[in-house]
Amino acid sequence: MIKDKVKTGVPGLDEMLEGGLIPGRVYAVSGTSGTGKTTLAVQFLLEGVRSGERVLYIALDEPPNEVRQNMRSYGWDIGQVQVFDATPDVMSYDKTPVRDVSTERKVVYFRDLPESVRQTSERSPADMTVNTIQELVRQEMKVRKYSRIVVDSLTSLRYFYIRTSEENASLISFLRLLSDIGVTSLLTVQLPEVSRPDVEIHMARGEIRLHKWYDGRGLIRGITVEKYRGSMHDHRLRMVKISSTGVLVKNAPPEKKIRPGTDQADMSEESPEPEEIPPPPDDAESEKAPAGPPVPDTQGRNEQKPPEAGREGPGGGT
Amino acid sequence: MKDMLEARISTGVSGIDDMLCGGLISGRPYVVSGTTGSGKTTLGIQFLHQGVKLGERALLVAVDEPPSEIRENVRALGWDVGKIRILDVHPASKAFNKRVSLVEVAAQRSVGALREMGTGARDEAMKQVMPDISIQSLQLMLKQELQETSYSRVVVDSLTSLKKLAENQADNASSIMSLLRFISESGVTALIITDLPDPAELEPELFLCRGEIRLHRKMVSSRLDRWVTIEKLRGSAHDTLPRPMTISEVGLTVDPDRKIPKNSMRVLQAFTQFAR
Repeated sequence: MIKDKVKTGVPGLDEMLEGGLIPGRVYAVSGTSGTGKTTLAVQFLLEGVRSGERVLYIALDEPPNEVRQNMRSYGWDIGQVQVFDATPDVMSYDKTPVRDVSTERKVVYFRDLPESVRQTSERSPADMTVNTIQELVRQEMKVRKYSRIVVDSLTSLRYFYIRTSEENASLISFLRLLSDIGVTSLLTVQLPEVSRPDVEIHMARGEIRLHKWYDGRGLIRGITVEKYRGSMHDHRLRMVKISSTGVLVKNAPPEKKIRPGTDQADMSEESPEPEEIPPPPDDAESEKAPAGPPVPDTQGRNEQKPPEAGREGPGGGT
Repeated sequence: MKDMLEARISTGVSGIDDMLCGGLISGRPYVVSGTTGSGKTTLGIQFLHQGVKLGERALLVAVDEPPSEIRENVRALGWDVGKIRILDVHPASKAFNKRVSLVEVAAQRSVGALREMGTGARDEAMKQVMPDISIQSLQLMLKQELQETSYSRVVVDSLTSLKKLAENQADNASSIMSLLRFISESGVTALIITDLPDPAELEPELFLCRGEIRLHRKMVSSRLDRWVTIEKLRGSAHDTLPRPMTISEVGLTVDPDRKIPKNSMRVLQAFTQFAR
């Protein structure tokens, strides 16, 4: 058992991870869109800020001023988090030579960002590649010792910053750098609705996967630890809530399964969600009617449409 | 705290605004996805119409349908949409031998108010120089248009068609990234219309957009049922339940207080079932 694990800052998740993440290693946070990957990653950084660490957010798809604005909706001030805006410029589609931006873009604190999005330079848009970003991380680590880095998202890095032929080699090299410099890093990975694991998932020392799906009553959110090298971990699917305080795991271990109806009232802002893994569709008949206005059920009972082929949801786990 | 609330933009459908906890966050790109006939274009027009009613400038980028048809369809709804401006990038015919450069395309394709459009699908001159339409050329056309007129709302109908029209599909991902970045930097609130995404594919617009409104249209128990879900909304709480939708002579209506019928819920459940 490893002492001094790194706390994720997500209530309940550290219990699933038997105390947290092993320091100095690379982890993936995966999930389909809208599952809370960025929120979880920012919680991880804020936990570092709280314990006086240096933390870095590398923005690859969403402009960082928007990230800051979005996090205010949780009431979080992420001004103390350092940020590298690696979001790409608008492409000009003409023949002007691109510049090496590593000399022009700097790591700053979120609090020092302007309120609006950085504008592409009219005369010479910058080209950002995985090598540029890798070099920046290397330089930055020499100057200040970060203990936590978030790459949001690795999917953008794969799609937009790497030429296809060298995709996997470049990603492996980037992940290798992150573990060589001894920083605990979280990479966000966007999954399609039917998943197919990529190289970054195999390379990461652990994968925390966020899920969402519908049961008979509404949207259900879940979290699993798909893999965790070098540590015991919770193998169960746990329910997740994204509330005004961020991501939290609802029925975290070591407590026993919570029965429906015993949940605390302090997380009641969203629609009611069941505490247990919802039953398969065949059992849906026995579901209790949800709270709220009744819905007239005018449907015939005998003609339920079967699930379409190939739509069975996330398939291949690790 | 009041000052934390950003300016919200109404979608023109009050039920959807309620699902979005007030509307879209201003100046960001959003995706509207759904199958054919699910009401995506109607939602787009309602969004633009809402802007016009508030005295804003609204632009429709028409790729799928010629503007004259859109105008007729909308007229059938009885709306006065004459003030919606339209950028016609409809590929009327294929004439690959007569391709013109992207910059020329931008110069030739002009924006007209919806009421100025002729009833013919397209004028003759246009047919003779049928340019290559791509995501890149759309970005260039939009850039030129936004330099002349400051729009606050833009609808692209649809990105799926543009992706299919592109000659080099491999470039689509970075072109889409650039287009969305361009929209961000321009400060316009945009709805990007796409087909229902292939669940096995990772469409770049879906992870780059700041939110996704999905329109569902399904035969459930021999009856057509429609509903709306908010798949993603950055920076805001949102409704996580599917809500029933109707399309009538007043356009889309969504009831944010009702649930969808049980059988429809089961169909949705089958689509997103957690199976591992």
